Amino acid sequence: MATTNVVTGGQYNYDVVRKFTIMTLVWGVVGMLVGVYIASELAYPFLNLDIPYITFGRLRPVHTGAVIFGFGGSALFATSYYIVQRTCQTRLFCSGLASFTFWGWQLIIVLAALGDVLGFSQGREYAEMAWPTDLLIAVVWVSYAVVYIGTVMKRKEPHIYVANWFYLAFILATALLHIFNNLAVPFSLTGSYSLFSGAQDAMTQWWYGHNAVGFFLTAAFLGMMYYFVPKQAGRPIYSYRLSIIHFWALIFLYMWAGTHHLHWTAIPDWTSTLAATFSIMLLLPSWGGMINGIMTLSGAWDKLRTDPIIRFMIVSLSFYGMSTFEGPMMSLKDVNALSHYTDWTIGHVHSGALGWVAMISFGALYHLIPRLWNTRIHSEKLINVHFWLATIGILLYIVPMWISGIMQGLMWRAFDDFGNLQYGFIETVIEMHRYYVFRALGGGVFLLGMVVMCYNMIVTIRSGNTRAAA
Amino acid sequence: MKHDKIERNIGLMLVLILLAISIGGLVEIVPLFFIKDTVEVVKTADGKEMVRPYTPLEQRGRDIYIREGCYLCHSQMIRPFRDESLRYGHYSLAAESKYDHPFQWGSKRTGPDLARVGGKYSNDWHVKHLIAPRGMVEGSVMPNYPWLMSPLDTSDIAARMKALRTVGVPYSDGEEEYQRNVQTFGEDVAKTLRIENAEDNLKEQAQFGNYDGNKSDVTEMDAVVAYLQVLGTMVDFKQFDDDYFATFR
Amino acid sequence: MEWLMWFTHFENTKPLALVIFFTVFCAVLFYVFGSDRRSQRLESYKDIPFLDEHQDAKGN
Repeated sequence: MATTNVVTGGQYNYDVVRKFTIMTLVWGVVGMLVGVYIASELAYPFLNLDIPYITFGRLRPVHTGAVIFGFGGSALFATSYYIVQRTCQTRLFCSGLASFTFWGWQLIIVLAALGDVLGFSQGREYAEMAWPTDLLIAVVWVSYAVVYIGTVMKRKEPHIYVANWFYLAFILATALLHIFNNLAVPFSLTGSYSLFSGAQDAMTQWWYGHNAVGFFLTAAFLGMMYYFVPKQAGRPIYSYRLSIIHFWALIFLYMWAGTHHLHWTAIPDWTSTLAATFSIMLLLPSWGGMINGIMTLSGAWDKLRTDPIIRFMIVSLSFYGMSTFEGPMMSLKDVNALSHYTDWTIGHVHSGALGWVAMISFGALYHLIPRLWNTRIHSEKLINVHFWLATIGILLYIVPMWISGIMQGLMWRAFDDFGNLQYGFIETVIEMHRYYVFRALGGGVFLLGMVVMCYNMIVTIRSGNTRAAA
Repeated sequence: MKHDKIERNIGLMLVLILLAISIGGLVEIVPLFFIKDTVEVVKTADGKEMVRPYTPLEQRGRDIYIREGCYLCHSQMIRPFRDESLRYGHYSLAAESKYDHPFQWGSKRTGPDLARVGGKYSNDWHVKHLIAPRGMVEGSVMPNYPWLMSPLDTSDIAARMKALRTVGVPYSDGEEEYQRNVQTFGEDVAKTLRIENAEDNLKEQAQFGNYDGNKSDVTEMDAVVAYLQVLGTMVDFKQFDDDYFATFR
Repeated sequence: MEWLMWFTHFENTKPLALVIFFTVFCAVLFYVFGSDRRSQRLESYKDIPFLDEHQDAKGN
């Protein structure tokens, strides 16, 4: 065990952490607002208003970009810069470069949204950005890696704390995925054609798409969990050895599973089977993380009643456990035959994205913000309000999506007594209407919670100051 | 004390992480580029390829399809199930999207699959439906696309085809490549693949095909409808045994 | 040298990969849980997030 190096607050670079923290809130509101709007467009198509820039097809990538890369990305930058400094007991390597990653990343989110709205899409889900934006992402990402690894290298604590492993895997994997998935030949400043085509392109895209979930939205947020859950609970992580095992298993297994997005399509069967097998195995390391997080609280369950921040974290871990069970189940070929192409997938994504990613981020931010601005939370009561709005919002979202997804899947494959299809496609669409209304409502409630959080945090930040830890 | 080293040595840890995350992708994706059976052989009796690159007009339609994000609500991948073959037609082949940069298989069917929509509806139906979907299909949640009636920018079609040629689509640049295309696809198709004549070919197809109901100008609607009408029509399944394609899976 | 040819057959990659990965996994498991002293050392790292407690107490 190393001796404790007491580093004064002034030796940490909190400036860039604060900036990313604020932008997390901003992109959260923007991204979720766009999400609620496009959900409403599906329920009430007149909302497309015959304006090209706000049709569902163009706004949907704005939504995914703003919440994944804007909200999630900024949250990860903020927490990773905070955690790596605190657990390595050293100041961030190269402040100038860290500042560049902030401005660069914000520019990327804006460029991506503009590009989507103007129609410069690459036609790849979650990677719609045009090639110049892709290049900028690559540059910012390499800078991020340099700052992060540089900081780890000059650490005062000999052991690298496990949260940093998850962030390191996330940084490396994202670089790898981004580069290979965006290989393309440009024909103009805004347009390009992908290097691969057809089946190979599909494999590459879903290798990217699945592992963006695996490393961006899972591994990195586990890193967040491994720091903030122990800190907020005031007790160390349940088992450090379990964290080692499940780290290596998770990053190894995840990369095999992407092809389960392509079950029953025109790819060789063996890739499909392999992916399904690995998806099932993936359940174990996923639950390893969940168990480690939840068991950290064993013996301190009373905190669930008294500390709303802990409540966010526990619920997020529960949703993590649930979606990582649902995921492997949906990767079974027979289940997938029903669930694929339906809203079930959308519900699954959001139980992970809202339930796990957003909830753990909220918990981390509530822990982080008073410490960054040397103050106290303005209102614990409002955190509680946020918690209930968020939880109810998620349930209002995913339950209708389960019902509509399974129902539509069953209607598509229903036959009448003569062996003909029982329903025309449009009949299944009409059946979806009421669920789309509920889904939009659920999203709206979740967004309302986010707005409550913003108000609470603005007041908190105003009451604080940055001088002592500048 | 090996893991101890990993925990303390950032370089070693990075290498091991890279190794762990690379294996899965390497094993699953790389073989697809080398195994012949990944993409089916689909030829006519006289040895011509059935699946051809898109004509300039169709390709521009495809570009607009991507611009508007159609793939977010429509798949282009029919699975080998009884209900899907009744609803949409023969299951999709890998060969049918071998010139698709990028692929547009999609992941969600808010609207129906479009892999074989070609020839199912008239041009006129498509035009009316794209301008006001609920006028043709009550209860549809598709947005209106009235701006597709604006003129199509045809000026950069050669640049686009050159980029596609770079990534492997056999658009021909020069006489030698043209002759090769005549061999592979037959003369009629080969003519449409010449980059030299791209803009003329595009306009001619738009005017001759009259997709948008107006012969005098070339609109984005011409391109989109031309693209929709070719989807899934290139392979003539009558010429193959039922189980021929199963051997490739 | 004849036995080396076994490795060149494509269909043998599956059992081979299984053996390799499973061995690695067992090695990791054994490493992590195998010795009491090492276990103690590994578990001691869980306190790293709390090493900065002093300064928090001082109000930084």
